[in-house]
Amino acid sequence: MADLQIINVSKSYGAVEVLRDVNLSIASGEFVVFVGPSGCGKSTLLRMISGLEEAPTGEIRLEGKVVNRVDPAKRGVAMVFQSYALYPHMTAFQNMAFSLTMAREPKAVIKEKVGRAAAILRLERLLDRRPGELSGGQKQRVAIGRAIVREPKVFLFDEPLSNLDTELRVQMRAELIQLHAKLGTTMIYVTHDQVEAMTLADKMVVMNGGIIQQHGTPLGLYDDPDNKFVAGFIGSPKMNFIKAKVEAVRTDAITLSDLGGCSRLELPFRNFDADIREVELGVRTEHIDIAQDAGTTDILAAKVAFVEELGDVTFIHTDLPTGERLVVRSSKARHRGSSTECFVKLDPAGVLLFGTNGERIRSA
Amino acid sequence: MTTDVGLIRTAAPGYALDLSIWTVLKWTVAICVAVVAVFPIIWMINVVFAEPGVPVSINPRLLPTSLSAGIAKIDTILSETSYLHAYYISITYSLLTIAGVLLIGSMAAFEFALFEFPGKRPMFVIVMLSLMVPTAVTLIPTYLLTANLGWLNTMQGLVVPGLASAFGLFMLIQFMRTIPREMIEAARLDGASHFQIYRHIALPMSKNALVTLAILIFMQTWGNFIWPLIVAPSPQMYTVGQVVGLFNAPFSHVTVDIVMAANLLAALPPLIFFLLFQRKIVEGIAMSGSKG
Amino acid sequence: MFDKKHIPHLLMVFPFLALFAVFFLYPIVSGFVYSFYDWNATTTSRFVGLANYQRIVHSRDFSKAMWNLGSYIIITVPVGIAVAFCLALLVDSFKGFWQNFFRSIFFMPVVLPMFLAATIWRWIYTPNIGLLNTTRGFFGLPSVQFLNDTSTMLYSLIAVDVWVSAGFNMVIILAGMKNIPRQYYEAARLDGASKLQEIFYITIPMLYPVLFFVTTYGVISALQVFDTPWLLTGSSFSQYGGRQNALLFPVMDMMGRGFGELKFGQAAAYGFILTTVIVSVTAVMFALRKKGHQP
Ligand SMILES: Nc1ncnc2c1ncn2[C@@H]1O[C@H](COP(=O)(O)OP(=O)(O)OP(=O)(O)O)[C@@H](O)[C@H]1O
Ligand SMILES: [Mg+2]
Repeated sequence: MADLQIINVSKSYGAVEVLRDVNLSIASGEFVVFVGPSGCGKSTLLRMISGLEEAPTGEIRLEGKVVNRVDPAKRGVAMVFQSYALYPHMTAFQNMAFSLTMAREPKAVIKEKVGRAAAILRLERLLDRRPGELSGGQKQRVAIGRAIVREPKVFLFDEPLSNLDTELRVQMRAELIQLHAKLGTTMIYVTHDQVEAMTLADKMVVMNGGIIQQHGTPLGLYDDPDNKFVAGFIGSPKMNFIKAKVEAVRTDAITLSDLGGCSRLELPFRNFDADIREVELGVRTEHIDIAQDAGTTDILAAKVAFVEELGDVTFIHTDLPTGERLVVRSSKARHRGSSTECFVKLDPAGVLLFGTNGERIRSA
Repeated sequence: MTTDVGLIRTAAPGYALDLSIWTVLKWTVAICVAVVAVFPIIWMINVVFAEPGVPVSINPRLLPTSLSAGIAKIDTILSETSYLHAYYISITYSLLTIAGVLLIGSMAAFEFALFEFPGKRPMFVIVMLSLMVPTAVTLIPTYLLTANLGWLNTMQGLVVPGLASAFGLFMLIQFMRTIPREMIEAARLDGASHFQIYRHIALPMSKNALVTLAILIFMQTWGNFIWPLIVAPSPQMYTVGQVVGLFNAPFSHVTVDIVMAANLLAALPPLIFFLLFQRKIVEGIAMSGSKG
Repeated sequence: MFDKKHIPHLLMVFPFLALFAVFFLYPIVSGFVYSFYDWNATTTSRFVGLANYQRIVHSRDFSKAMWNLGSYIIITVPVGIAVAFCLALLVDSFKGFWQNFFRSIFFMPVVLPMFLAATIWRWIYTPNIGLLNTTRGFFGLPSVQFLNDTSTMLYSLIAVDVWVSAGFNMVIILAGMKNIPRQYYEAARLDGASKLQEIFYITIPMLYPVLFFVTTYGVISALQVFDTPWLLTGSSFSQYGGRQNALLFPVMDMMGRGFGELKFGQAAAYGFILTTVIVSVTAVMFALRKKGHQP
């Protein structure tokens, strides 16, 4: 049980700045997930928390104490690696017992602690096997067991499931949720799979280019992203973005024009900054519908590019005359016919506005 | 399509005939080469295990004729010369060299392969450049240094100058590079000290490379002729190689069969080693060759 | 910016580097210094400048040794590698057990210590009663003094040398052959290439780096040849090189000057001359390889 604060942490390798001014506060017992595209600095941040990577600037506080200069082994953090990093010449038991052996714990204590971790992870029958004789999922469990045995204050996971197949990944995800419930320990988890992030996280931290873009609950980020990057990164299929001009601004509504060429849209909005002339609309697929005909000005004409029919849901990919791609989610019925021309209608309640710099423009 | 079938049908018997001629030829050549390769060794064995006074070369036989005569000759050599002592020296020399090279080589390889530290690049480059320097150039100055240290005719004089083996280091570095960085980091998080990581992770994981290197060093020290010749010229420190050299000297007044018995005794350890570890030896050489 | 955290790393490399410095770097430097001194075991040393170098280069033994070395390398390296290559092809044409079997058998001579191989061969070469000469006698041919007739001595040495080294090179070439992707051969077969064409158009070009390695390595070790000719001839510091110095080679000459005549200054200088030769030859070989690689 430990809380963690990261204050003004930056990191560069030579001239390359990998992390910039990271500030983050993690409460005790929280399950925090770092997500972001490859190379955005997630692993680096995690490794700085573990102490494997130095944190030359800023502070990392664990339970209130600054740990920047504390040896990784003494911080009370345990890490599970993407490649499992199991010692190939040791049995599962010896792997899990390694930290205790290094600490010269008595044999009985080692046996008891490893036994307990093995029971939690249902590994009892596999303890005599070497990593080469274990399946991917079993290896991952041993790696987690090795972390549990150390009774750490914080668990760190670096893409622990990315080497598993989809089915096993779903299963291990469920097991991790149970494990977290059982142990109640603070866990920090890195992934670039946003579905994994959404299902696991109490708190989700979205990173890009070495900067924390936004953090909060998964649904909080889904519904109310701070910027275009977060909006686009979370959710599958991606949020649609359409450029538009601001035609008229009133106190509690604005009118947008030139959507997809020539459509108009009336949006309820308070205190819009009248200086902004151009915006970008973000609309998730579920907030767009196929309309019957071009009846009103808020309906956009589009061309069906292709259709993904998944049974329960259908994604209709359409191209606007401006060349923008608009994906429509339709769960009502299977796609009707193969008409290449269609009409789409945006739901104003689901439209988010972004400035040309990518920042969100919120209604006050 | 029909023409195709016809072609195959007519071509097949000729091809099969071709194949069998090729096979016969190949086996003949292989067996001849094999005979040439092992003949001197078999001849040596034949000369030893034959009644004395009948030079085998005059009456070539394929198989040894007298086990007891051979044993008697070996017994003569072991009891009437200091061959056993030379054996002891050679074995000690080999074992100490192996232990030393493996220990200090693996320690240095561990650092060079897996960590960064100041001066690493230049040190590494210098050591690797030394692989290009012929032994001829260092031989005499090293001998003089060893002499100045008062190590002539001592075991340390034989062993210590050969311990910093750049070849051994290179081979171990190549191998240890394949240890994933995450493995080292996991051990570090598990509370292992730097030395413990070396001892409990890197060493056991490099077992194969260490064994291969040990075998290669054994072959090399056992066959090393020139260094013992100059640094340990006293009969007290004769290695097997030197003793064999004496037996073979032109005016040694020893009969062929006794000489061959001495040679056989010298050949035995590497031959046995080879029979036991042939895969490792061959692969070790192939590895160091195709990567070097 | 030295940091305490580097100490464990430096401690671990220290034993190696210390020994390396003492028994490799120091000898090289001191050898270089010695080479400018008239230095032998009895008298005090005296700086003589380049005199040692001049004396060596102008000596008859040196020219003889260099001449021998040249003829030796020109024959032994190509022959050795050609034999090794054919052996590798031969072994490669077998499968499973027999492949391993022949590979091990052909490799056997490498396992014998060099000093043994040489002495066994000396007995094989012995006049009248030696194995080769008895065989010749069997066919009514006169006995040949293989190691004492200047017209055969070099070839006798080369035969031993090829016998000893073929297995070593074969194993390396074989490993290289195994690394050639199968598709190349399959593609060639579809194009109707014969076995011989496969060897010339696929195997040899694909083996280029390996063949380069064995050639370079072969040349470098041939330049340092010592054990075999030493043991085939007198094998003592008072007698070596054979009749008319037909088997005198530079390293032997160097050793003789050092340990036979106790002229260590000259021996050290000899070492540097040799090193210069070896390094230049290696450099030329690498340069040729670079050139060969350019389209
Ligand atoms: N030792 C290093 N030296 C130089 N640059 C590095 C080093 N380690 C990481 N980087 C760089 O730092 C950036 C962040 O790397 P990091 O491993 O944290 O990314 P990541 O978010 O974990 O990516 P992924 O999802 O692919 O694992 C990358 O651009 C990477 O190239
Ligand atoms: Mg990463």
